[in-house]
Amino acid sequence: MPCYIYDGSFDGLLTAIYDAYYNKDFPEQIVSRDNFIDNFLITKVYIQTDEEKSKKVHDAILQKISRHAMSGIMYAYLSEHENAGIYILEYLRFGFKTGRIVDSYLADDRVNNINRLVTKVTREKHLLSGIIRFRLLQNNIYYAPIEPQYNTTCLLGKHFAERMSDQIFVIHDVKRSYGVFYDKNKWFMSDISIKEDIVFHENELFYQELWKHYFDYTTIKSRINPKLQSNHMPKRYWKYLIEMK
Amino acid sequence: MDLNEKIKILSDSAKYDVSCSSSGSSRKNKKGGIGNAAPSGICHSWTPDGRCISLLKILLTNYCIYDCKYCVNRVSNDIPRAAFTPDELVNLTINFYRRNYIEGLFLSSAVCVSPDHTMEMLLKSVKRLREEFNFNGYIHVKAIPGASNVLIEETGKYVDRMSVNIELPSGESLKLLAPQKTKESIIKPMGLIKSGIIQNREEKLKFKSAPQFVPGGQSTQLIVGATKDDDLKILKLSESLYNSYKLKRVYYSAYVPVSNHPNLPAIIKPPLLREHRLYQADWLLRFYGFNSGELLNEENPNFDELLDPKSGWAIRNLDTFPVEVNKADYYTLLRVPGIGVKSAQRIVQGRRVSMLDFDDLKKLGIVLKRAKYFITCKGRYFPQKSIPTNPVSIKNRLLLEDNIRDHENVEQLSLFSLFPDIMAAELHMSRITGVL
Ligand code: SF4
Repeated sequence: MPCYIYDGSFDGLLTAIYDAYYNKDFPEQIVSRDNFIDNFLITKVYIQTDEEKSKKVHDAILQKISRHAMSGIMYAYLSEHENAGIYILEYLRFGFKTGRIVDSYLADDRVNNINRLVTKVTREKHLLSGIIRFRLLQNNIYYAPIEPQYNTTCLLGKHFAERMSDQIFVIHDVKRSYGVFYDKNKWFMSDISIKEDIVFHENELFYQELWKHYFDYTTIKSRINPKLQSNHMPKRYWKYLIEMK
Repeated sequence: MDLNEKIKILSDSAKYDVSCSSSGSSRKNKKGGIGNAAPSGICHSWTPDGRCISLLKILLTNYCIYDCKYCVNRVSNDIPRAAFTPDELVNLTINFYRRNYIEGLFLSSAVCVSPDHTMEMLLKSVKRLREEFNFNGYIHVKAIPGASNVLIEETGKYVDRMSVNIELPSGESLKLLAPQKTKESIIKPMGLIKSGIIQNREEKLKFKSAPQFVPGGQSTQLIVGATKDDDLKILKLSESLYNSYKLKRVYYSAYVPVSNHPNLPAIIKPPLLREHRLYQADWLLRFYGFNSGELLNEENPNFDELLDPKSGWAIRNLDTFPVEVNKADYYTLLRVPGIGVKSAQRIVQGRRVSMLDFDDLKKLGIVLKRAKYFITCKGRYFPQKSIPTNPVSIKNRLLLEDNIRDHENVEQLSLFSLFPDIMAAELHMSRITGVL
């Protein structure tokens, strides 16, 4: 059985699904180019991303399964899990057979695999909406660098554009070199490569200090429990947290 | 006094106030404004003690004219005092919010000069936030007992949640420990807020554009262990607060000894386990369809500290068990120890497409540790050598399996209960999606 290799985009993944159905040849693996590890037993099939094919799959999911299923596979894709591609294919095959009710098969692995990934991505998205920290720069842009475990940065645009509707901001996924931008009007995504130095606004450090102090004062010293703290807020996120420095 | 020093003094006495919840209100941002209230509530950090920081929790001032025995801020206590100006407070809130440090403001205060004066300052601060700074983030304000109706009603127009702390669960206890406060001075503002909310809801039905009044509802806090009041009395009080005053939440706070006045009990450690049991029971009242009479009665007015209230109830009512997971209705499932709201919803959803056995339950993420004594799948008990069916041995098994770990972690458990609103949020969401 072949291994499908796609360009890493969501459209690429949906194209792979389309091709699998069209060729009636279901692959053993669907991986993005970056995750692919070659070995001589594998028959490689390179997928040519095609927006028309991807749209057809998208429409078919909405029609034959549900909007919920659509967002489920989107989140599963964002998990960047090595098996996300094949899990999505298996889930969709099951979904096209059963229809809307597919998500009630909670104990079925085809559904369960997707749900587990969705939970991880949803959790991180929710966590990040609380723990990203904006720094006010000299040019009046609020700048938040992050390194999420999953590809969740793109899910944060809407939340912050609604919330901070009167401030220009950038949420920068340092690991994946892209970001969410908001210009007081609309938000969009774009690649980022920062060349010049980042210069803080003159008030920035003052508020950072106050926040650090508040964080310290509000801790109940007799109940220190670092394990509980890092259960909620895993250490891998601490790098960009003002209060954890 | 510099701002940092003020923050130090005024956050220090506010930190024990347990309500950190920022959920339950949805306030949309306005064009060109800053902030909105997310109905699900968001934690912004966790302090080294493991508690979630959601709101900037702070006092306007800790100068107090009263002398409540259980309180650090009582006038007879010799501690450093400070007061914010409304401007300072507003600036701090906005600047923290813009940097995504916080979800909003939780503003409380000691009683400075007079209840009316204090309430006026609180009103001034929140009004400025909303009107001058166009701030639409979450605001929770304490209503000061004894303040005039007009001020409390006016404040209600600007905030998401208001609370009046009852603190002591009975009139006698108040007399003993907070002689300047009366039951009436506490109940009055609560009634006022309640009718304000009801009236507002009616207006909203008629005019969509009617201004909001405390859309996140009201809450209160009770101190546990500073008086002789038993769990039954406390739980009954909570129950009537939920039923008659339509409160959103009652918070319980284990009494932290702050002075050794003769009217106070001589305790060294706060009764955290008791607080934890009360939170569990409160949960059962609000989401599981229990009433206080089922959980406690005159003969047993206090919770068994070793056993959670639901298991306790189940063991006393073994005749209603085991229940068959493939048949029992949603509310019956909810009464099974170890099965929570999420698990019950999953079972109901999962069994629509196929009969469930124990392996399926595990795949659904249902923990069988407690539940296995109380359920059957396809008519069979959990496949284990001997599942006891008499109350005493079930209780022993449960205690055994709870093992020592849990008892060492009492503090941890208790702290969990400080932010269970995150879970409430999930509940909320699944309601909307119609799983119930
Ligand atoms: S009125 Fe409030 S702040 Fe003042 S002593 Fe009593 S409880 Fe403490």
